[in-house]
Amino acid sequence: MSDQPRTSAPPEQPASRSLLMQPGGWRLERRLYTSPFREFTAVVSAIAVSVLAGGLLVALAGAGVVEAFRSMYDGAFGTWNSTLETLVQATPLIMTGLAAAVAFRAAIWNIGGEGQLYAGMAGAWWVSDLMPGLRPAPLLFVFMFLGAALAGALWASIASVLKAVYKTNEILTTVMLNFVMTSVLSWLLAGPWRSPHTFYYQTERMADVTFLPRFFQGSRLHWGFAVAVLTAAVVYFVLRKTSLGYEIRGMGANPVASRYKGANVGMMIITVMAISGAVAGLGGAGELLGLHHRLQMDIAVDVGFTGIIIALVARLHPLGVVVTAVAFGALVNGSTAVQVTTGIPAALVEVIEGITLILVLLAAVAARYRIVRPSSAHG
Amino acid sequence: MGDFLTAAFMLGILVSTVRIATPLLLAALGELVAESSGILNLSLEGTMTMGAFAGFLVTYRYDNLWLGLLAAAAAGAGLALIMALMSVTVKVNQIVAGLALNILGGGLAFFWFRTAFESGSSRDVPNVDTFEFATIPGLSRIPFLGGVLFDQHWLTYFAILMVPVVWIFLTKTRYGLELRSIGHNPEACDMRGINIVPRQYVAVVFGGVMAALGGVFLSLASTGLFFPDIAAGRGWIALAIVIFGNWRASWMLWGSLFFGFIEALQLSLQAVEFQVPFFGDDYQVFEALPFVLTIVALVLNRSRSRSPLSLAIPYHRGER
Repeated sequence: MSDQPRTSAPPEQPASRSLLMQPGGWRLERRLYTSPFREFTAVVSAIAVSVLAGGLLVALAGAGVVEAFRSMYDGAFGTWNSTLETLVQATPLIMTGLAAAVAFRAAIWNIGGEGQLYAGMAGAWWVSDLMPGLRPAPLLFVFMFLGAALAGALWASIASVLKAVYKTNEILTTVMLNFVMTSVLSWLLAGPWRSPHTFYYQTERMADVTFLPRFFQGSRLHWGFAVAVLTAAVVYFVLRKTSLGYEIRGMGANPVASRYKGANVGMMIITVMAISGAVAGLGGAGELLGLHHRLQMDIAVDVGFTGIIIALVARLHPLGVVVTAVAFGALVNGSTAVQVTTGIPAALVEVIEGITLILVLLAAVAARYRIVRPSSAHG
Repeated sequence: MGDFLTAAFMLGILVSTVRIATPLLLAALGELVAESSGILNLSLEGTMTMGAFAGFLVTYRYDNLWLGLLAAAAAGAGLALIMALMSVTVKVNQIVAGLALNILGGGLAFFWFRTAFESGSSRDVPNVDTFEFATIPGLSRIPFLGGVLFDQHWLTYFAILMVPVVWIFLTKTRYGLELRSIGHNPEACDMRGINIVPRQYVAVVFGGVMAALGGVFLSLASTGLFFPDIAAGRGWIALAIVIFGNWRASWMLWGSLFFGFIEALQLSLQAVEFQVPFFGDDYQVFEALPFVLTIVALVLNRSRSRSPLSLAIPYHRGER
């Protein structure tokens, strides 16, 4: 599990170590140093190939490729309003992407973004329910977001404490906790928190004062987007410029060395997971207070998992997460438009996401190698 | 309150326990073999969905269940080959590769399903005739047990039969023992001249085929339908069963039956509108139970874990 993606591979092995022998003396050789530019190029070409693969799927499904691409672009960025709506879609993805990126940087495999996001929603709702009269409104927002961050962090902490104390595998516990959260939520919505005024399993609609302000008339883009971008900046700063960030990156790059250095690995696991869970939780609060205004099941399906893909495609870079999340938001919006105009199912998004991730992973490895001709081989 | 505790009620629960356990058992046995070789394949959920879909599509088109079964196996093998390529050859992080394939498998099935069935004008739910129950003559007449064990789908018998097969393979055959050695210490195996790469490929592909058969059981034996959420977390439960059963073949059976029983109990209680203490008619409690229990089992088994030591760690020849 130590082979986590990194932005540039340190020269950890001699260049002469070829891994794949090729007939005729051609062989693959690991580069001493992979420049970030080369890696960036590899990722971008992988994404380009995925888009082509998406076009191929469209053609196979029997629709015009050019027409599909055009309506995808129109749906995502064609008008001012559709551009804003793309950002609306990107908002929770930025948060779950950041949540995954922070944890993965430390080689902690938090797959529980989905559950932590819902925990955050529940936390924010709970605060608004407990202290409905809290004023002024900004203070109420602070408390609701704090509640969300705390709830997300606590839900993540189940997995991290078990990992720190018992060394249980966090991938499995976080996946399991996603399912547990679904059950917890549906229990809350069927019982204690259920609105008496509705047939559906959902809470009462929240008071207007809890609505996050929107940026423009006639668009759903809310302040949650600003929170997301701000969070990305904070995460970038923490990872790059603080000693905590240094330790997080150290733990990811070389856990053994971190332990020898005297880092308290258990405490680090708990801290990193708490941050990760809190970020996902904040994302949940943004969705609840910005868009839905009542707690329901299925209001952010697969956002946690998509965040994981985004983090990996962005090579775990916080600012890259923002860009990738916007691209994925565009994909979601665009494919809805494609479905309307060409009848190609919007499930196309998931296929393109899957192909993109696979190709990006392969490209990132490929960028670390080069093909050596027999004549120029050394060693 | 006691009127549902009749023999017929209990029998119903046990019959559905075995039925529900079948896809879990198939996927868990396959994953056990893959993990024994050191490859953690997290893509079971996506593979099951893809298997369910491939089987459904082919059966719908060609009206042949066996062809559907074959298609499912091929789809499972295909996804597993990509997994093996990524994890064994390219040595991408296995967790990430598994998650990617999950998304690809689930997404492809969903996309293809919508393309194949809902682009036309007809909005009827497409369905196929399922496999008939393979009632074993004589044995199925045994009171009580006969109905539970010998009046099931033949895929269920196949799954149960695979338990001793996998057990013998992993513990008694040379190839199986070598496979497990690779999972524990690939370097030592490499030095002894055991060819690691093809073995891991075989193990991962076997796992993929088994998961896809588990998936196709859902579409071609249980329901006769396909819908995108057909796996409904079963792939993850199968992964949980491997841990829960502590990497022992026989425990894959007990684990699957146990989780199958929980779901069967939930469905039956729901049917008679039983009020669960404290939770009333909210049966979500039961749905959370397998996942909570897996976490508990992870903690309790930690010192006795038989997990392959090199699980999910890519092997680079000549490093360390």
